[in-house]
Amino acid sequence: MLVNHFLLMVLYALLVSVFFTVLWRRTRRDQVKLFIQLFLGMVGGGLIVAWLMFPFPSGPPAPIP
Amino acid sequence: MAAPSESAPDTTELDAAPAAAVAHPTVGNPYLAALLAWVVPGLGHVYLKRPVRGIIFFVIILVALFIGCQVEGNLYTVVQNQPLTILGTAGAMGMGSPYFLLRSRLFHYQGNLIAPGYEYGTAFLLTAGLMNLLLVLDVWDIARGTKE
Repeated sequence: MLVNHFLLMVLYALLVSVFFTVLWRRTRRDQVKLFIQLFLGMVGGGLIVAWLMFPFPSGPPAPIP
Repeated sequence: MAAPSESAPDTTELDAAPAAAVAHPTVGNPYLAALLAWVVPGLGHVYLKRPVRGIIFFVIILVALFIGCQVEGNLYTVVQNQPLTILGTAGAMGMGSPYFLLRSRLFHYQGNLIAPGYEYGTAFLLTAGLMNLLLVLDVWDIARGTKE
């Protein structure tokens, strides 16, 4: 399976957002609102953190224990 | 200002009551519902007559499991002298029967430490277990009538 970091992050955000939307909200309007908040919060938050880490050098991979 | 009529119901107490105190009718045995929810993700909701929610939860957890296995994440087991693996194992075991199926001789799933998606897969697998634990708590509340 091709490992695409961004795709996996989006899939993870999608699954978790749908899960908590169905778990916590009952009306369609509330569900849509919460889903958008969670999904954009996770994806946007991930992108912001990635952007903040951009100046740091990635360095060599950690040794396998 | 007009005085309220005597026939009008007094809703002051009802409005002031916290949401948690609102009781719903009990719909099933909470112990059985929790057990079913743990064994098969979503089955507790189906048992409590919420089939659509149950199917959605089942699909979500199954997809998380599938992705986690495809990218060869770690399915936690207890490792000696590493106490944090106890927490990881407890979380992963929250997914119920899929955990034991993956660990069984049939699948013999182990994960792959040097796979590029190892960390992502571990997050997916652990999240699947933790989400199912939340479902167990959810059906417990529904069956006891403290949640709709």
